[in-house]
Amino acid sequence: MGIEFRNVTKTFGGACVVDDLSLEVRDGEFIVLLGPSGCGKTTTLRMLAGLETATSGDILINRQRVNDIPTQHRDLAMVFQSYALYPHMTIAENIGYPLRVRKLDKADRAARVQRVAAMLEIESLLERKPRQLSGGERQRVALARAIVREPRAYLMDEPLSNLDARLRVQMRGELKRLQHQLGTTTIYVTHDQAEAMTLASRVAVMKKGRLQQFDTPLNIYNHPANRFVAEFVGSPSMNFIEGERVTKGIRPEHIKVLTTPKDDAIEARVYITELMGNETFVFLSVGENRLIARAPADFRADVDTKVWLKFDTEKIHRFDPKTGSRLQDLQD
Amino acid sequence: MPSTQKAQKPQKRFYVPFGSSVRFVILLLALLFALAPVYWMLTISFKTEGEQFASPPPWFVFTPTLEHYYDAFVTRSFGQYLLTSAIVAVTSTALALIIGTLAAYALARFELPLKLNRRLSLWILSTRMFPAIVTAVPLFLMMRDVQLLNTRAALIIVYTAFNLPFVVWMMRGFFADLPRDLEEAALVDGDSRLGALVRVVLPLVAPGLAATAVFCLIVSWNEFLFALVLTQTDAAMTLPVGIAGRVTQYEIKWGVMSAAASVAIVPILVFALALQKYLVRGLSMGAVKG
Repeated sequence: MGIEFRNVTKTFGGACVVDDLSLEVRDGEFIVLLGPSGCGKTTTLRMLAGLETATSGDILINRQRVNDIPTQHRDLAMVFQSYALYPHMTIAENIGYPLRVRKLDKADRAARVQRVAAMLEIESLLERKPRQLSGGERQRVALARAIVREPRAYLMDEPLSNLDARLRVQMRGELKRLQHQLGTTTIYVTHDQAEAMTLASRVAVMKKGRLQQFDTPLNIYNHPANRFVAEFVGSPSMNFIEGERVTKGIRPEHIKVLTTPKDDAIEARVYITELMGNETFVFLSVGENRLIARAPADFRADVDTKVWLKFDTEKIHRFDPKTGSRLQDLQD
Repeated sequence: MPSTQKAQKPQKRFYVPFGSSVRFVILLLALLFALAPVYWMLTISFKTEGEQFASPPPWFVFTPTLEHYYDAFVTRSFGQYLLTSAIVAVTSTALALIIGTLAAYALARFELPLKLNRRLSLWILSTRMFPAIVTAVPLFLMMRDVQLLNTRAALIIVYTAFNLPFVVWMMRGFFADLPRDLEEAALVDGDSRLGALVRVVLPLVAPGLAATAVFCLIVSWNEFLFALVLTQTDAAMTLPVGIAGRVTQYEIKWGVMSAAASVAIVPILVFALALQKYLVRGLSMGAVKG
């Protein structure tokens, strides 16, 4: 189902949490709302779910205005950060809850719970209670409860943030696969740019309640609309060199570190190196500036040794030092 | 190192039994203090009038008799009082729980304008800040005007009203401690507010609900003042008033009173025992986050 936010604003007390947000999501898209905590991404999701009311503006699902439709009639499914499994019910009852509320008969309910459990490989847990499950298992149950019926869209509020790193990467892949299988519109909230890059068909980057950029992951990465997006997306973060009339930005992978001098290379000193296994992060100081560069895994340099940097000039981003917005690309 | 270990061991052996025996003695004293009056009441109810006043009293050995029980429940109308007490206590407790729980849920979960959540809560609590007796006369006049004197309905209304603040404040705390996510999940899953309350929230606060119910029931069951003021007939009299009525100008019917009182503690005892496992959890709810 298509989802649309039209000039949606949300204020709490005097504070503006979501500021004039307009966003159009096409049917079947996987949209990630990305931003630091307090940027309004969760509030946006909760307004779509009907758990918060928009102060002004319209929210549309399938071209129908839903502002005044209560949560239970919006036919959406949501996965909460805390999973929000019902502690007094068994896993089977948890997954079957949306069906029970819709008064499906018992046999039908059991069959569908079984099918979804098989899909997520949690059949052996059905008779247990949520507290007997590990974090990863709970997360699967929460997913199962969301997909047991065919809602108009899935809403996910940092569903992976309570898992350990290894499990997070694994579940990330499974989520993407699942969404591909089901083809249901999904809105996913996260502060983790890696999740946004890997999962999204399009990413909406937010900051202080304002939408910064809404584009495909690749465009967000290669053509960030402003300095904030450039800095927030990518790890390690983009380097910035402040200037009077222009701030230049360059990603760590576009700086080549040489151990021998070359004509057009800039001299720098190694501050520290971090070996990541498959590559090395080189922290450099160039005069007053600090830069990070990515070097091959076999790169070795002692602290304070002299190195020379070669910038991939085509990959330099230019931002307005005052507003932070992107200046016209050089090649354009 | 070995020497310190040896030194510690006997210390442990010495202290633990000593500590537990002290605890045992204190517990025994507390138990004696609590149960002695009950024992006295029970034995009086089974003693003949002669033995009741014997000096020294026959503590353990006497000829038991059921005459006072017969007197109370067959000759006199204590059976009727018991029934009235049960109807009034159960109905008012149920009403207070239903109304109070809904009110508490609203106060805990919905944001009302003008800081009404806090103000209403305090206002509700304030109805318990004055001694109950100051409302006795107004309530008597009101009940007279609506012709509810000497009815069970009058007592049910008054007890419900007096238990409500307690229920609201207890349940509000239990609701506030419950994560909102669970109800929100239920709503997103398609359930109504009331459905989420019944299917998700109430099962989770069941221990608190049970503890609250026990308190309400005990208060209503033992209430004396309003029952005395609002009812004078056998048909509407509750057990406490009926029992007190055996103290007359000319004689005190200790046997009948003890027999009726002994029966009166049974329902509460059974109810409290049945809910015991919830009681402890309910009273400590919120103290320990799960």
